[in-house]
Amino acid sequence: MIEYNDVSLVYPNGTKALQNINLTINQGEFVVIVGLSGAGKSTLIRSINRLVTPTAGQLLVDNQDILKLNTKQLRQLRTKVGMIFQHHNLVKRSTVIKNVIAGRLGYTNTLKSILNLYSKQDLQLAYDSLKRVNIEEKVYTRSDQLSGGQQQRVSIARVLTQQPNIILADEPVASLDPPTSHQVMTYLKRVNREDNITTIVNLHFIDMAMEYADRIIGMRDGKIVFDGPASMVNESTFEQIYGRKIRDDDIRGGTTEHEQTSVNPSN
Amino acid sequence: MNRQAVLPPRPKRSLKSMSKTYGLSLLFLFIFIWSALGTIDKVNWSRVFSMHTIANIDRVIPKLFQPNFDKLDRVLELMFETLFIAFTGSLMAAILAIPLGFLTAKNMMGTSPIGKVVNAICKLLLNAIRTFPEILLALIFVASIGPSPFAGVLAIAIGSTGMLGKLYGEVIETIDMQVVEALEANGANKIQILFYGIIPQIVPEFLSYAIYRFEIDVRASTILGIIGAGGIGTMIVISQQNRNWDEVSLILIVIIVTVTIIDNISAFIRKRLV
Repeated sequence: MIEYNDVSLVYPNGTKALQNINLTINQGEFVVIVGLSGAGKSTLIRSINRLVTPTAGQLLVDNQDILKLNTKQLRQLRTKVGMIFQHHNLVKRSTVIKNVIAGRLGYTNTLKSILNLYSKQDLQLAYDSLKRVNIEEKVYTRSDQLSGGQQQRVSIARVLTQQPNIILADEPVASLDPPTSHQVMTYLKRVNREDNITTIVNLHFIDMAMEYADRIIGMRDGKIVFDGPASMVNESTFEQIYGRKIRDDDIRGGTTEHEQTSVNPSN
Repeated sequence: MNRQAVLPPRPKRSLKSMSKTYGLSLLFLFIFIWSALGTIDKVNWSRVFSMHTIANIDRVIPKLFQPNFDKLDRVLELMFETLFIAFTGSLMAAILAIPLGFLTAKNMMGTSPIGKVVNAICKLLLNAIRTFPEILLALIFVASIGPSPFAGVLAIAIGSTGMLGKLYGEVIETIDMQVVEALEANGANKIQILFYGIIPQIVPEFLSYAIYRFEIDVRASTILGIIGAGGIGTMIVISQQNRNWDEVSLILIVIIVTVTIIDNISAFIRKRLV
């Protein structure tokens, strides 16, 4: 469970990125955060693994105030909170398996990780994670030889290898084309369902938010301006959140039906 | 086709920017003419175009085209010594430059005042080293440890460290820091981030620069012998002073062939690396 109690964050340049946020996210929820760029979506989710540190308030992850953690405790927290980025952030010159096993770094002794001495279980876990996103045949490929969607799937596998309780995804589909976007979202949703991992995704495409989210949180100017189940949301809700008319570039388009068949032909 | 018909008219340049351009051009022209006049003034033209010059050219140039292969053994031996000096020096520099590279990379030194000061000092140090030509460094080492190839090795090592440290620092500054952020986000510690996020990104460039520097060092070390720091330079001086132009010729041929071979091998390897 994640609990924001009156959390605020002011950046050194004076930007008020979060203003008195009060929010509770339950274990296993699939939450999509929407809002224009600069609304504070990234800051909100990056607070959970302390890539940014809120300046006031209390942020509880599993009843532990993470704003008070020391460096070592912070690393322990981060092993349990996986993160997926817009640009997947893989080491391009390293192989897929080397990138995926990096998910175990937080659990592995420094010397062993440098010498590449991973236990059988860890390697099995890494390979199984690749299988779950259907990319196990690329295990020894250099990651710069993969397409954008494949790289994002590898980064999902890296996060799965962490065996996290929470997955944070910061604009995971913003640089992908529509069919690939749906594929990536489908995997995230499936992982969320199968492993009961709390998943928080930043998106700005309203159709994808409505399609995949259990719960939608709308942000504007560092405040939460909407919070409710996805079923309650329609286009006018988004117009309220965005504070303007919906435009073509707010919609990703493409269908899931077609994608799911091509992702997993056996289904 | 009239350009004016297709493109919108050029924006008018201000008088200030025009006068700046023309002013600088005139200044450059003035300096050029002034220095040329100064040089011409100092040349003794009657001496340049005398029979003496023609006789000298007639004596030296043909010899340069008749290499004396009797000394090939000795020349090759010294050429290998030169290569060893260059290789050892480059290798020492390639290793010494690694810590300096990290210390001069802004993104590795953090935002603390101490980090910034160390960063600035290391940059200053590398800049200072780079102002010394190898031959001057060699002079210092010959004076301090005596005339030996080791003096040459040290001169090459220090000189190359100046350049490689700077280049390494620049490579580190251009790595993808988002990868580092991703590793931080999954709980890796600093050493793990170094080995998983940073080293894979920099190794090919580091090797490429080290090999490129070796290429430069081979050329640089051929003349170190002139001041007694070992290698083929010693023989160049001796042959030249004895007017053995056919030996000089052989030495030049060996240097040209060796440097060309090294350049090609280096280019080939570096193309594969990156």
